[in-house]
Amino acid sequence: MTTFILRRVLLMVPTLLVIATLTFVLMRLAPGGPFMSEKDIPAKAKQELLHRYGLDRPLHEQYLAFLGGAARLEFGPSYKYPDRQVREIILQGFAVSAELGGWALLLSLIVGIPVGTIAAVRQNQPTDFAAMTLALAGVSVPNFVLGPVLVLIFSLTLLWLPAALWTGPESRILPVLALCVSYVAYIARLTRAGMLEVLRQDYIRTARAKGLSERVVVVKHALKLGILPVISYLGPAAARIIMGSIVIEQIFAIPGLGRYLVIGAVNRDYTLVMGVVLFYASFLLVLNLLVDLAYSWLDPRVELA
Amino acid sequence: MNRALALFLLLATSLSCAPGVSDAPEVNGRRYFGALRAPVGQQLRFNLGTEPEVRDPGVMSGVPDGRFARMVFEGLTVADPVTLEPRPGQAYRWERSDDGLVYTFHLRAGVRWSDGTALTARDFLWSWRRVLTPATASRNASLFYSIVGAEAFHKGRTTDATSLGLAAPDDSTFVVRLAQPTAYFLMLTTFYPFMPVPQQAIEQHGLRWTLQPNLVGNGPFRWTYWRQNDRYEFVPSESYWDRANVRLERVVAYTVDDLNTSTNLYKSGAIDWNPSGYIPSQYLGYMKPYADYRTGRYQGTYFYSLNTTRAPLNDVRVRRALNLAIDRESIARDLLKGSREAWGRVTPAGYPGYAGPAQVKYDPARARQWLAEAGFPGGKGFPRIAILFNTSEDHRRIAEAIQAMWKRDLGIDVELTNQEWGSYLQSTTALQYDVARRSWIGDYLDPNTFLQILTSGDGNNRSGWANPRYDALIQRAARTLDPAVRFAVLAEAESIALDEAPFLPIYHYFTTELVKPWVRGIHQTALDVHLLTRVWIDHDWRQHEPIAEGNGR
Repeated sequence: MTTFILRRVLLMVPTLLVIATLTFVLMRLAPGGPFMSEKDIPAKAKQELLHRYGLDRPLHEQYLAFLGGAARLEFGPSYKYPDRQVREIILQGFAVSAELGGWALLLSLIVGIPVGTIAAVRQNQPTDFAAMTLALAGVSVPNFVLGPVLVLIFSLTLLWLPAALWTGPESRILPVLALCVSYVAYIARLTRAGMLEVLRQDYIRTARAKGLSERVVVVKHALKLGILPVISYLGPAAARIIMGSIVIEQIFAIPGLGRYLVIGAVNRDYTLVMGVVLFYASFLLVLNLLVDLAYSWLDPRVELA
Repeated sequence: MNRALALFLLLATSLSCAPGVSDAPEVNGRRYFGALRAPVGQQLRFNLGTEPEVRDPGVMSGVPDGRFARMVFEGLTVADPVTLEPRPGQAYRWERSDDGLVYTFHLRAGVRWSDGTALTARDFLWSWRRVLTPATASRNASLFYSIVGAEAFHKGRTTDATSLGLAAPDDSTFVVRLAQPTAYFLMLTTFYPFMPVPQQAIEQHGLRWTLQPNLVGNGPFRWTYWRQNDRYEFVPSESYWDRANVRLERVVAYTVDDLNTSTNLYKSGAIDWNPSGYIPSQYLGYMKPYADYRTGRYQGTYFYSLNTTRAPLNDVRVRRALNLAIDRESIARDLLKGSREAWGRVTPAGYPGYAGPAQVKYDPARARQWLAEAGFPGGKGFPRIAILFNTSEDHRRIAEAIQAMWKRDLGIDVELTNQEWGSYLQSTTALQYDVARRSWIGDYLDPNTFLQILTSGDGNNRSGWANPRYDALIQRAARTLDPAVRFAVLAEAESIALDEAPFLPIYHYFTTELVKPWVRGIHQTALDVHLLTRVWIDHDWRQHEPIAEGNGR
């Protein structure tokens, strides 16, 4: 177990190195630069700015300096927001994104797993059809449609909930809903598929033959393996739901991390883009590791090697 | 099935009769856009706009950044909330020498920074010098170029700061010597790069002086809270000289960059002021009936820039043909639903005393003649050129309309190219385009802020156009003190620019803002500049709103 974790952590280093290099190269290949604007900046001022951020040095030196900084989790100041360190921006944005994504993920699991389980137990019955039709609808409606529709109904028409902003607890409701619906739906479908497979297994028949109640069979014996597909989906889903809520952040004016990727890329804010990309990549790798660990814990047949 | 139907009906009825459902509440016969719930107490909530990049008045350049500066800092003069004319700020009076070259400002007695230290003329001297120091990398340093020695110092030709025409003979006197009598100089002193910044905080904290708690200001408000991409909060500054007249007790400025979200927040009553530019353009045509919608001419023009270094656009006859074959009226009327005004001049309207040359008018017959004279009768043999614009639905629609007009009237084929913002900036600055969509917003109320950019080699010219006679006229205007003569010279210069057509004007910008009826003291201005110092919340607004004549507005 320990060697497994250690090996996986060591493997992350070359992966991140490749990602960092690709990001560096792609950013430099993009036309334009960080200090361009619709209004001209005098040549002298631009030169000063390039010098201030070391952008007047040869490219390989910049690359090495950037790698060295990244290894120490120091990305330097953002070019667009020069009084802030990229690290500060990431941490502040991540706290908000993690809260938004955390609630959405929790809600997806709380609703998605029971719905999927019930659908599997009542396979091909009206409950199953209803649940799966709703799930299909949930997967199909993109959140940039759902978000504004929720705002139109609950904020602009009924005036019950805030239309946007990240202030009191009531401001969490609409963005969390808009973000989680497609995940609820997907998790319900995955749970249903997993459960259907497990419910046909011999050990379930044995459990039923022992005279256990259907409830115990499903919840105690079947669910543990039935949600394995959900667990493996959870890694990338968590990364996506927490980092990739750009659209929801935009619609609801939430000060999360997702939008910095867009702001950084549009403004050629090299340090900001690097910081956010590497943060996201590490986050994803760690989550995948956790998923693998959870797998071995839930399914004794899986060996960590 | 019956239960589902019942649920649906329940939902439908609750949607249609819930309180607050009425789309446009009416008070005294006037219709308003969205919920009418005034904030508690003297509190103003508004959308500041896109997150400011820097909170340093000497370095900043965005509109939201400027809103922050005007709350937390104050220059020698402040812009009048209605006319934008310079009014006393940190200076209570000033004199101009007869030749227009020396300005002497007298600071108010007892003006202080928010940390309690005294603010003196030396603070202005230090701050102005700092903007001109190349290492500061200010985007507005060229506005100081009329000051003696400023250009040479800023361009690094000399490092001797004493060569600048700035002096602080005593704590309350600040003397500025100009190289040429710049008619709009006093107006410039209302602009944020001319505001004082705290020397001690900057020397202590470097670039991070603009963060809390390092930031020290001298304006009407003190900055108390910030979360990036979320909001700013302010309270009145106790050390401000005019504290007694600041009535707002709290200001919350959200930084919402999405237009739909901002308008939704206004409609739901979460903000009291949705500033100009934050209403989605497709709604603008429908906003007119609302009493809280305010619009007026904004000092900006939208135009197409032609790359005059490339054939066939290096031929003035081709440029004239393209210019005359744009039907601006139909773009403004049909495409933009009257939310913009068709405009045939480089400079916008609204400079008292400046009439400017006659506008370019749509004239397809004359356009065809010019094209034929240039050697392309009926568009025959005309090389394929492209219109470049930054990715946006609005820009695309206008480009498509102009593409169709040039095809119809001139028989030429034009491609459309869109690029994302960074690439677009690169292409336009490096002159890698044929025709590019551009716009220009004035910094101060004077035609010079527009006409200056067309001088040869100006960093904002970006068309490659150079005309020595034009440059000489702009130079002459800068040396002229008599306003009538100066405007006549500028008008002559502008008529050259219109005739040679490096820029093809299309429309005049308009401010488009929503202000709740209880907010008093926010006025539409040509520069979209608002002074919040004396703004207040009128909780009895229903009694004070004028009774509109008749119904059905």
